[in-house]
Amino acid sequence: MNWLFYSLFLFPLLVSGLILLFPKRINQGLIIATALILSTISLYLYGSVKEAVSIQVPELVNFLVAGIDILLLLYFGYVAIKHRHLLVGILSILQLAGAIYVLTIAPHHSTAQFYIDRLSLMMFLLINIVSGVIAVFAIRYIDEENCSEYKKKFFLSVIMWFIGVMNMIVSADNLEYFFLFFELTTLASFLLIGFRNDETSVRNALNALWMNQIGGLAILGAIVYAIFTPEYEQLTFSGLLSNVSNTGLLLPFALLAVAALIKGAQMPFSSWLLGAMVAPTPVSALLHSSTMVKIAPFVILRISPAIKDTNVATVIMLLTGFVFLVAAISALSQDTFKRILAYSTISLLGLMCMLAAAGTETAIMAALMLVIFHGISKCMLFLNAGIIEHVYHYKQTSQMDRLGELGPFTALAVAIGFMSLLLPPFGGFIGKWFSIESIGSSLPTFKLTGALIIAAIAIGGAVMALLYFKVTGVLFSRSGEQEVIRFEKTHPLYQSSIYILLFLIIGGMLALPVLLPSFFAPIASTITQVSISSVFKGGSLYINNLSLPIIPMLIAFLVLPVTIILSLFIHFKGVDRVKEYTCGEKVDYRFSSLYFSTEKAMPFYIVVGGIFFVALVFVGGML
Amino acid sequence: MNTTLIAIIFVIVAPVLGGLIYGIERKIKARMQQRIGPPILQPFYDFFKLAQKRTFIVHSTHAFLGIMHFVSLWFALAVLIFGGDFILVIYLHLLSTALLIIAGYSTRSVFSHLGANRLAITALAYEPVLILIAVSLYMVTGSFNISSISTLEEPLIVKMPLAFVALLLVLPIKLKKSPFDIAEAHQEITGGAEIEYSGIFFEFLYTAKWLDYIFAYALVYLFVASNFFLAITVLILTFLFINALDNSTARVDYKQMLKFIFWTALPAALLNLLWVTL
Repeated sequence: MNWLFYSLFLFPLLVSGLILLFPKRINQGLIIATALILSTISLYLYGSVKEAVSIQVPELVNFLVAGIDILLLLYFGYVAIKHRHLLVGILSILQLAGAIYVLTIAPHHSTAQFYIDRLSLMMFLLINIVSGVIAVFAIRYIDEENCSEYKKKFFLSVIMWFIGVMNMIVSADNLEYFFLFFELTTLASFLLIGFRNDETSVRNALNALWMNQIGGLAILGAIVYAIFTPEYEQLTFSGLLSNVSNTGLLLPFALLAVAALIKGAQMPFSSWLLGAMVAPTPVSALLHSSTMVKIAPFVILRISPAIKDTNVATVIMLLTGFVFLVAAISALSQDTFKRILAYSTISLLGLMCMLAAAGTETAIMAALMLVIFHGISKCMLFLNAGIIEHVYHYKQTSQMDRLGELGPFTALAVAIGFMSLLLPPFGGFIGKWFSIESIGSSLPTFKLTGALIIAAIAIGGAVMALLYFKVTGVLFSRSGEQEVIRFEKTHPLYQSSIYILLFLIIGGMLALPVLLPSFFAPIASTITQVSISSVFKGGSLYINNLSLPIIPMLIAFLVLPVTIILSLFIHFKGVDRVKEYTCGEKVDYRFSSLYFSTEKAMPFYIVVGGIFFVALVFVGGML
Repeated sequence: MNTTLIAIIFVIVAPVLGGLIYGIERKIKARMQQRIGPPILQPFYDFFKLAQKRTFIVHSTHAFLGIMHFVSLWFALAVLIFGGDFILVIYLHLLSTALLIIAGYSTRSVFSHLGANRLAITALAYEPVLILIAVSLYMVTGSFNISSISTLEEPLIVKMPLAFVALLLVLPIKLKKSPFDIAEAHQEITGGAEIEYSGIFFEFLYTAKWLDYIFAYALVYLFVASNFFLAITVLILTFLFINALDNSTARVDYKQMLKFIFWTALPAALLNLLWVTL
C-alpha cells in the first residue's frame, strides 16, 4: 500500500521533470494522464485505507530533507540579493539560522515522518482531482500566453511539482518535514506569481514570499519550543497532540496556527493572495481553491483537538470572524472579477478556520464541507474567469453585461458557481448553515465569543449575498428574447474542465444526504476522536443535534439550479414581446451596480488583524 | 395529524389570506387619511382585471424568473408554516428574493435595474437581524426548528423582547412600507424590479407580495404563539403600527436605512442574543 502514497508524492515530481524534457504534443497527453492517474489513486486510497497509516522513511531521506531545506533558504537569500529586497533578505537569514539551529539540536528519534488519516485522504481527493482539472485547463491556457515555449513548459512543470508537494504537506507528521513542504509551497507561489516577470508580478511575488516566510519562521519557532519542552517527546504533529494534555503548553500550536493563517491570507496578510491575480489565471485557481490556502483550514483542523476550548481557539475564532466580515465588506468596493473572487476566498477561509478552531463535531463537519465545496466552486469560478479573460476579453464585472448573450454557457456556469457558495440546496450553503447552527448550539460554551461570531457570520453572510447577487445579475442581463440558446463552443480542454467541475458541484449537492453520514461524519470523528451519530428519522437526517430535512432540500433543488438552467431555455409562445417600458422614459441603459468605497478602511483592518495575530502568540505563550 | 392538515390548508389559502390583509390594509390606511378607501376585496378585483389584460413580456427568462419568485416564496412560507428550520426558512426566502433580483437585472430597464440593486440592499439589512433572532430562538427553545416554540410555556416575546423590537424595525423593509420602501419606491423608481412585468406575469409578483404579508406576520406570530388572545392583540397592534408608520413617514434613502438598521435593529437583536446566552 505504501507505494501508492509514495506515488502520490513522487509521481508528480517525476512528471514535472519530464515536462521540461518532452515536446509540447507529448506533454499534453502526459498531463492529462497524470491528472487521471493521481485522481484514481486518491479515490482508491480513500476507498481502501480504513485505518490511519504511519510511514517511516529511510534515514537517508532525513539528510535529503535537511539538504533541500538549506538549498531552498539559500535560494531565498539569492532572490533577496537579486531583487534587492531587504525584508526577504532578513527573513531568509533568520530562517536559515533557525533551520540550521534546529537541525543541530533536534533529537533524532526513529519515528514515522508521515501520518495519513482520513483528513489527509480527503485532502488528497481535493488536491488531486481539482488541481488535476486545473492542470489540464492550464495546458491550453498557457498556450495562449505570450511567452517562450520553455517558459510555458516551466509553468506546467511548477504546477505539477506543486501538486506533489501539496500531497506531501497534508501527510507530513514530522514538523521538520512539514517546515520544508511549507517552504516549498511558498517557493511555488513565488515562482508562479512572478511568472510574467513584469514589475507588478515581481513585486507581488516578493510580497507573497516575505509574508509566507514569516509563516516559516513561526513553524521554526514551534519546533524550537517543542525541542526545549521535554514533555513533547517527538517533533511530530501526533506527538504534540498526544502530549498536550500533560503539558498544557499551547505556544507551539499558536505558532503553527500563525503559520497556517498566513498561508490562508488572513488580515493583515491578505495582500499576498490579492496580489496573486497578476499571474495567469490557472495560478489563481490553484492557489485559491485546492492547494495553498487550504493549508490553513487543514492545519487548524489537525491541531483543533489541542486548542479546543482554550484561549488560543478563542483568539483564532475572533480573528477569523473579523476577517470573514471585513473581507466580504472589502469585496463590495471591487469591480475586477478576480479581485471579487479573491476577497471572497479570504472571507470564506476565515469561516473555515473559525469552524475548525471551534472544534465541536458539527463545526468540524461544516469546516470540512466548506473546504471541499468551496474548493470545487472557487476553482470553477476562477477557470471561468480565465475563459472570460482569454475568450471574451473582459476583466471588470461591469463590462460583462453582454456575456449572457455571447457566452451563455460561461455565464450560466459562473452563476451556478456563485449560487453554490450561498443558496440552498448547494453544498456551500449547507456548510454555512451548519456553521451557524453548530456555533449557535455551542453558545452555552462559547458565550460572548460565540455571540460575536454568530453576528459576524450573519452580517458577513448577508454582505456576501449582496456581493454575489451583484455579479450574478450581470450575467443574466440580455437585450431581448433569444429564440434559440446555443451554448458556445470553447476549446475542448476548457469545456471539459468546466463540465467536470459543474458535475462535481451538482453531483456533490445531490449526493449530500449520503455524503454527510458516510464521508464527512467519519472524517470529523477521526479529528475529534468522538463518534458522530447520524440517523435518518422522519424525513430528516439527524447529525448529532442538527437536523437536515430532506424533502425541502429536494424541492429547493427544483427551485434553484433547475430554475436557473430552465430560465435560459424556456420560451413562452403566444405572448407578445415588447421593448422595455422604463416608465416611458428615454434613458441610456448602462449596467451599473452599487460600489462602496470600503477599501478606505483597509489600513484599519490590517492594524486590527495584526493585533489579533500578536494576541494569538501572546495568549499561546501564557499557557 | 390534525395540525398537519391545518398547516396544509393554511399554506394553500395563504395567498388569498394575504390578499385579504392587503385589502384591509388599504382600507385602514385610507381611514387614517380620512378617505373612504376601496372595498376590502379590491385586491382581488384588481387581480381578475389584470388577468384579462393583454400580456407583454420583455423576454422569457425575465418572465419565468418572476413566476419562480412566487413559487419559491410560497415554498419558503410553507416550510415556515410547517415549523421547519428557521435558518433554512431565512435562506429559502433569500433564494426567492435572489430570483427576483436576477429578474430585475435581466432587462435593460433602468428602473428595473435600480430596483434589483435596492432589493439586494434591503436583503442585506434584514437578513442578519433574522439570523440573530433565529439563534436567540435556539437559546430559548434548544432547537432551530420553528415548531419547537409550541413547547414553550410562556410566549417568546417575554423572553426575547429586544428581538421583537428588532423584528418590528425590519418589518417595514420586508413589507415594503415607508420609510423603508426603497426597493419599490413607486414615486421614484416606479416599482423597481416589477416594472417590466405586465398582465398574467405581473399577477405572480402581485400575489407574491401577498405571500410576503403572511410571511412577515407569521414571524410576528412566532413571538406570541402560545396565547391566542395575546396573539390577536399583538398582531393587530403590529398591523396598525406598520400602517401608521407607513402613513406618517417619508421614504429615506438606502444609506440612511442601512445606517438605521445597523445602529438599532442589529444591536437590539445582538443584545437579545447576549441576554439569552449569558
